[in-house]
Order: sequence, then C-alpha cells, then structure tokens
Amino acid sequence: MLEEARNRWHPIASTSDLPHRHVFHGQLMGREFAVWRADDGFVNVWENRCLHRGVRLSIGINDGRELKCQYHGWRYANRTAGCTYIPAHPADAPARTITNRTFPAVERYGLVWSAEEPIGEVPDIAGLAECDLLVLRAIPVNAPAGRVIERLKAHRFQPSGKLDAADGEISVEAAQEFSIALRSRYGGSETLAVFFVQPVDSNRSVIRGVLDHGVQGAGRIAVLRHHNERLSALRDLAEREAAAAPAPAPIEPVYERVSPELAELPELTTHGRKAALRVTVSKKWPAADGIAGFELRPVKGLLPTFHPGAHIDVHMPNGEIRQYSITNGPGETDRFVIGVKLERDSKGGSKCMHETVREGDVLAISEPRNNFPLRRDAVKTLFVAGGIGITPLLAMAQALKNQNLAYELHYFAQTEAQLAFPDRLEPLGNALKPHLGLSPEQTGAALRELLSSYKRDMHLYICGPGPMLEAARAVAAEQGWPETAVHFEYFKNTNMIDDSSSFQVALARSCVTLKVPAGKTILEAMREAGIDMPSSCEQGACGTCLATVIEGEPDHQDVYLSRSERESGTKIMTCVSRAKSARLVLDI
Amino acid sequence: MITLYDYELSGNCYKLRLMMSFLGIGYKTVPVDFYPGREHKSEWFLKLNPLGQLPVLEDDGLLLRDAQAILVYLASKYDPSNRWYPRDNPALLGEISQWLAFADGITGTASAARLHDGLFYELDIDAARVGAHRLFRILDEHLWFGEQEGRDWICSANHPTIADVACFPYVILSEEGGIPRQDYPAIRRWCDRVKRIKGFIVMSGVFPAGPAKAA
Amino acid sequence: MNTRKCTDPVVLNLWHPIGAIDETPAGIVVETVLLEERVSLAKTADNVVAVWRSRPDLRAGDTVEIASIADRLPAKLAYGYVWTSLGSPPQDIFPIPEYAEGDRRKLNAATIGVNVSAPRAIENFLDMGHFPYVHTDILGVEPHTEVKEYDVEISVDRDEILATRCRFFQPMASTASDGGADVDYVYRVPHPFCSVLYKSSPLDETRRDVIAVFLQPVDQEHVRAHMMLCVLDEDNEDKVIKRFQQTIFGQDKPILENQVPKRLPLDPRAETPIRADKSAIAYRRWLSQKGVTYGVIPAAA
Repeated sequence: MLEEARNRWHPIASTSDLPHRHVFHGQLMGREFAVWRADDGFVNVWENRCLHRGVRLSIGINDGRELKCQYHGWRYANRTAGCTYIPAHPADAPARTITNRTFPAVERYGLVWSAEEPIGEVPDIAGLAECDLLVLRAIPVNAPAGRVIERLKAHRFQPSGKLDAADGEISVEAAQEFSIALRSRYGGSETLAVFFVQPVDSNRSVIRGVLDHGVQGAGRIAVLRHHNERLSALRDLAEREAAAAPAPAPIEPVYERVSPELAELPELTTHGRKAALRVTVSKKWPAADGIAGFELRPVKGLLPTFHPGAHIDVHMPNGEIRQYSITNGPGETDRFVIGVKLERDSKGGSKCMHETVREGDVLAISEPRNNFPLRRDAVKTLFVAGGIGITPLLAMAQALKNQNLAYELHYFAQTEAQLAFPDRLEPLGNALKPHLGLSPEQTGAALRELLSSYKRDMHLYICGPGPMLEAARAVAAEQGWPETAVHFEYFKNTNMIDDSSSFQVALARSCVTLKVPAGKTILEAMREAGIDMPSSCEQGACGTCLATVIEGEPDHQDVYLSRSERESGTKIMTCVSRAKSARLVLDI
Repeated sequence: MITLYDYELSGNCYKLRLMMSFLGIGYKTVPVDFYPGREHKSEWFLKLNPLGQLPVLEDDGLLLRDAQAILVYLASKYDPSNRWYPRDNPALLGEISQWLAFADGITGTASAARLHDGLFYELDIDAARVGAHRLFRILDEHLWFGEQEGRDWICSANHPTIADVACFPYVILSEEGGIPRQDYPAIRRWCDRVKRIKGFIVMSGVFPAGPAKAA
Repeated sequence: MNTRKCTDPVVLNLWHPIGAIDETPAGIVVETVLLEERVSLAKTADNVVAVWRSRPDLRAGDTVEIASIADRLPAKLAYGYVWTSLGSPPQDIFPIPEYAEGDRRKLNAATIGVNVSAPRAIENFLDMGHFPYVHTDILGVEPHTEVKEYDVEISVDRDEILATRCRFFQPMASTASDGGADVDYVYRVPHPFCSVLYKSSPLDETRRDVIAVFLQPVDQEHVRAHMMLCVLDEDNEDKVIKRFQQTIFGQDKPILENQVPKRLPLDPRAETPIRADKSAIAYRRWLSQKGVTYGVIPAAA
C-alpha cells in the first residue's frame, strides 16, 4: 500500500505552518523533509539532510533567500536547492553543482502538498472551494494511517452552526485510502469535513482536516476547538489500539547517492557547461541612461544555481554571443536579471539587445559561469564599480548584505541618471557610495582615498572600463594591498592581440600534440581536433577557458590573469594567449 | 552584585542567565561541578541549598533557590517595564504561576530524560518521555490556539513573560533526552519567536535563530 | 539469552574505555554497557580493577571483594580510564607520551552520552570547518571561516591517521592581542573510536595541550564519550577547565544527534566531501580498509 502511496500527493503541512523565516520539519513515509518558505513566497520541500555531512536542515536557518546549514554554514538557494557558498573554502567558486534533493510543493486547500514521485496533479476535492475554507489543527497520531482512516469512518462532529445541539447526522460522502469526506447535518445546518491522513511513517500519521466553509468571528475558535477535541479523542483511541498491536518497523528512507564527481575531491579549476538554456524576456526596461535591464525567465523548469559574480552567455537573434553578469541577489532564483549598456561602437551585440530584443522574445543562454568568485571571509570588502561594471558587484553586494557582512560599494558614474538598477541600489543604504561626474584625475584621487585604509583580511573587487580598472589596480598596489586581496573583472580585452606566432601544443592528459599556426588560437586548434573546452567571451577577459601549463613559456595576451599568475607561467587563457616557446604542454 | 551558582549544561541555570540577559543586568557566576563532580551535593553547597539542587542565586544578602522562584524575583525587582511579571495584573499573574508549575512538570520529565541519556541518571526513561510528550501536546495545542487568536506567547499578553522563559530551556533541549519536537509545529514556531526576543543568548545545545523578516 | 550483539571482529578485539577510574568508587560494583552487552567493573582502593560480563549475583551498587571475581574480561588502566575488551585485544593501548609529563593537569572533563555512532563523533572531533558556526566566539568566528590546506597521512607502522599543519583562526587566541590569531592543531586517530588532539598552548609556545576523546560504543548508534584533558594550566581550578570542555562538547551534541543516518556511511558517494574534509576522507578509507562494520554503513562491495 505504501509503495503505491509514493506516487500520490499527500498534504505534509498546513499553509500556516510556514511563516516567513521558519523551517518546518515534515515527514512522509519515513522520509524527512525540511520545508521552508522564502521571502518571495516560494515553498521549498527538501530532503532533510545537508549533502555535506548529513545534518538535518530542519535545524538550519531560513534567511528568506537561502537556507543555511548549522554545521558548516553551507548555503542552499531558494527554489533550486543549489549550494551557493562553502565557507571553508572562501576563495573557490563552488566548482561543482551541489544540489540538494527537492520534492514538489503545491499549496492547495490551505495545505502544502508533496510527494516522492507524484503522478498527475494535486487532486480536486469535491465540495471544497479554495476561497472559503477552514483548516483544522493537524493532529499527529502514533498509529498507522490505515487504522486512523478506519477510525475516521466512525467519526462524529457537529455542523459549524450547531456546536451545542444534539449529535448531528453523519454521512460518508467519499472514502479513499488516505482521505475521507464526512458530512454532518443537524436542523438545516450542514458541514462537510474532509480529513486527509498523512502517512508519516509505518506507525505514525497526521490527520489534516479541512471544512467546506470558513467561520467568521468568535465562532471560529469554537469550531476549531470542537474539532480539536473530537479528533484528539479519536487519536487517543487509535493510539491505544496501535499500542496493543505489534509495531511495524519504521520505514528506512533510501538516500540518493551523490553524483560520482561530487564524491571525489574537487579540483581547483572550474568547468562550465555549454548546454544552452532557453529563457523568455519577461521584462525589459530602462535600468539607467543608456542601460537596458532584462529579466529572463526559464521557458520551462528551473534556472540553474548561480553564485554572485557569475555571468551568462547570451545568444542573440543576430547570431552574436555576449557575456552579461547576473545582478540578482541571493535566493532570487526564478529569473536572471542582466543590464546591457548600449555601446557606441557596438558590433551588433548591445545594439541588438537594445533595439531588436523585446519582451516575450525567447533567447538561448549558457549556464552561469563564475570566474569572478566572491570571498565572504573578509573583515571588510570594498567594491569599486565603473559604469556598467556595477553588474557583478551588485550581485556580490546583495549577497554580503544578506549575510550582514561589512562592505562598501563605490560606484563611479557620470551622472545620477547613469546609476543602474536604482531599485537594487536603494536597499544597500549607506554602504552605497556614488562618485559622480569625476574627471580621470579626480577619479584617481577618490581611489587613493578609498583604498588608503587597507587592513589584513580586507578584500577589493573591481569591475569597470579598462583605464579605470588599471588605475584602481595601480593605486591598490601603491597603497599596500597584496595582489591576493585584489580581484578584478574586465568586461573586454582592449589589448591588440598578436596572433602571428606559430607553435606546438601538447595536451598531456589527452595525449595529443597540435600545431597552432599564425592566425589561429589554441582554443580553435583544440576544437578542430575534437577536444572539448569550455569558453565564453573568447577574448581573454572572462576566465572560462583557463588551462594549466605544465611546460613551456606562455605569451599572455589576456586581461584575466593577475600579474603573479602571469609571472608564474602556470596558467594560460587558451582563447587569446599563445606561446613564446616552440612548445607548450597543457594539463588537458 | 548578583551571584549565580551555575552549571553550564543546566537548563535551569540557563533560565536565569537568559532572564538576566533579557533584563540587561550584570552578574557573576560561581561554577558548580554538577557533573561529574556532584558538587551540588557537597557540604558547602548544601548549606546554600539543603535540597542540593541548582541554581542558587544570591543578591544583596538574599539567598534564593528554585529557578522559577528566582525568575519571579528577578523580574519583580529588575524589570522597570513591568512586563515580564506584571505585578498589577492579577489574572496574568495567575496565568504565569500556572505555567511556572507547568515548567516544573517539563523539568520533571524532559529534563529527567536528558539527564538519563546524557549523564546516565537511573530513572524510568519511558515514563519520563511519555510524560514529556503529554505535556508537549498540551503546550502545542495551547500555542496553536494562541496563534489562531493572534497571541504569540504562552500567557495572554502581547509580550513574553517569565512563563516563556521558564518553559523554553527544557523544551529546546528535549531532543537530548530522545524527545523529538517534530509533532509539535506550534512549539517549534514559538521557539523561533523566543530566540528572536531582544537580548536572547544561547547555551550549549541551543542554536540561535536567523533574523526575522523585516516588516 | 546470551546472543552476541556485535559481530564485528575488528571492534570486538579492540580495547574500549568504560569509565573514569577516579569516578569509580572502591569496592562497589559499577555497571555500564559496551557493544550492547552489560559489563560490570569494580576497583580496590589502590586502583586494582576487575571487569566482567554482568551477572545477577553482582548488581550495580553491591559491595564486592575484587579478588573474588571470576570469569573476568581483560582489563587495563590507561589515561585515567578503565579499558576492557570483549575479544582478544592487543598487548598495548596506543601511546600518548605526553601523558607521562609530570607538570601536566590530567582529568576527565566528563563522560557524556550521545545518540550517535562512534565514527560520526570521531569525524566531528577531526573537523575544523564547524568552529565558527558551532563554537561561535570560542573556537572560531565569522567571517574567518577558511580551512587552510593541511596534511594527512595514514601512518603504516603506527596504524593511525595523522593530520598535521592544521591551522584555524580563533578569536581571543592569546591574551596578548585583542584580535584573534591562527591556532595550530595536530590530530591523531590511533584507534577507530578514539582521537587525540594537540593544540598550541597559550602558556608555552613550545608545548601543546592534549585533548582526547575516547568513545565507548554502547551500541551502533549510541556512545559514551569520555573526554580526557592533559593540559598545561597552573591557574584554573579543575572545574573551570572541565566547564570549558563541557561547553564545547555540549555545542557539538545537537549537531551529532541531528546527523542522518546516524551510522557513518563509508560509500564515498553517500555524502559530499570538500578539501577541508581530507582527514575525514582518510578516516573513512582507513575504517573501510580495516573492515570495520560496527557503527558504519559499509560501502556496497
């Protein structure tokens, strides 16, 4: 009986069991759930177990956007249940998709419904109308569901309008394996009560009752108390019976194994996937002067988990591909919000987004990639944004704000009207420091001032136009910021690429040696040889096609690697950089 | 200066630390090696409390035993807002006393089960757990109807009272005695609310709550 | 009924701690549970101990003449505890050389019952990443959450796990500076259910405090955790030192009791390790290699 029950929808909680910032501890047929409502209203039903070390998530913290495990502070996103941050390794973007097991959740008839593997929709219940109901107090019973249903067949209660009268006349309107509908009539009054029996475990259940009409005023509590008394009496009887019978063994839940790559220790590199997602432009609006905001929602299913600092590739109707940072705050997982600045010398990317793409259009995007990960172990974090460089930093600032960590967001722009996403900037309050209309010299002075306060365990994130970024990096170095504390993302590589060299590339793990002639990139040569390598901007800015150099001297032409990374000669961006030596050995 | 004779893992001592934190008053502690040293049965301690039980509190020459009694004293003396133990509201005082006695019942069952499981006290563990579940059912029902009537706390005031402080510790520690709270969703929500009272502090075995949603 | 509950030969043949010698009254029977069997112990005034499978004629609380007890189990006194075995134990219990140093304070911080398997408790003892979250403001504090790279080896000749170069940020690490600092740790797992921690001493830079947890497996999902301290501390009363350790352990307890499943899964795909868990991964492999089945969920063959 219980096997079949796995395919059925069962109520597992009352809607009122899920106030904001609470985690409800549920269970269905032996399997425990952590159930929580995010601030956006979404109800999450998850396996009650952190994937890391098995700690119950029902003792975790619901911060409105994410659920935080009490043991190691791992954070899981609303809706996707993807892990967004692992505090033990603050410098790493979670390289792998660590996603908790989720179960479907539907709110109906004042109850939250779920199932292990449901077939079909939550059933329509004859006689119950969504807008006019009274949900009774749930009664947990230490007895099997079948025994409780049997008891309910003889259950008696009064119509809501006639609590004090002699016994009402009861008729069984419908009875199924896990539910029963009873009608009580007395002197022209009648009430339909539907009782669902949730099989919690082999020997435990919960009776969840719903009446067909709400009751207003003082009578409401009286009706609730009436049913609570009657059902409690029924519970006591069922428990006495169950205690006299041999107790069935509890159901052992089967936990899904994690994917094989999660069982291995992660490598330090990040691999994005190329799988394109289809999204609808659900909203397009002027996010600032010259900047269009786009809200992208999945055509079906859920969007993948993103981390602050991540970007997506957007495939445009005209065939161009561009990278845009996700500006979302934590837990905002039903859509991606990006900002697109109209470039004067646009080759068709931003122009197409501004002029051609409209609300309702469908676009293809890549999964989010994060080559600009945010540490959250700084005593204070400074963000320096120039113009459209605000977008990744905005996501980061919202994440730190949510965790109540110290940060400042310095935003350089010409005019107030150019400050993008005012709706997202406003909640940051005093942490937002706009710097408006400054000349390059004034910008330099402002940077010197704001970067003068370096202390150990502070971190700096910079994103903006090349010249400003160069200036900020130079000032930071001058003011004693160690390179490891300075993180930056260029949105394009303005270096002139010299692709005149020719050389050999040996791929150590693939056991192939390739010739890279002038005019062709390492990435192109690999692709022609059928070797898969993730890439995104393909101009040396985003960091996606990073490879490890085992031997040979790279000729760096990117803007992604830091000075010491370049000097170490152990990393290379395969989309633009080349070799100074005749031969390069890569760990691919 | 108030002196609290204290044992870190004692829920009854925690009641007083919690109360004094809510009230924002300073105190010093004298650690008592309740376990494994059984110092509460030592000669010097029995002079403070012949019952040989923690906690004991000393203030201004006054020596008091019994957690619930001390809550009454602290709230009466140190709460200028007169909310934790409203001296001029007889009905509420009656309610509070009723729930203080209930808290004693929780100590006799849930705390006893915890002592059995954690510190190997010899007692009828099944009876302790059954007794705790009986009380938790009553408390959950009471709190659920309270929520239905717009009441967040144990007593019928729109603010917490010492009744909440008295009941909270051994409810939140009940799992250490093998008494899960899964079947008491209203109790679980009330625990979150207690944890969000300004001045809340934890003890070993109690986790803090996250921030409430801004209104 | 005398059915043997534990059938794991590796675990049956281990030495297990069953009580702190100082807390055992002389000449009186004390009862406890080991591997689901009731065992009794008693000692003389000069700490000669006897351990035996409990029997009806000698009940807990009875006075007893130690010399008269027949059919004894193996018994040993080590590190302040009585150890026994239900099988054929090795000659010696693993060494803790520092225990012999005369200027150290040695005490049982407490013996506490926990509803968890012994291996889960060992793993938690080896773990640093939880310090800011579970031992907030004591052993760690946000945002200092990083577990820095450290080294782990399974020592073949000593048959134990050794984690070295472990460092973790601790607030108020020294009285000299108001900020925190990294504290050094070394972890040993010399016994499937025992672990020894060495931690830089705030009093003497050249020496380390030793804190050990010896787990008495009551059954597969319950332990009695004996916490041994062997520390350099001249100032504090015993009860102050114990209070600190009990506070820490009391914070771990609800985490341990909320881990599911309670037995430690040895299948590498049961949970998700990160680099910070290197010592736990080594521990799980080591248990697998030894063929331990008690308190664990063995990996499917």
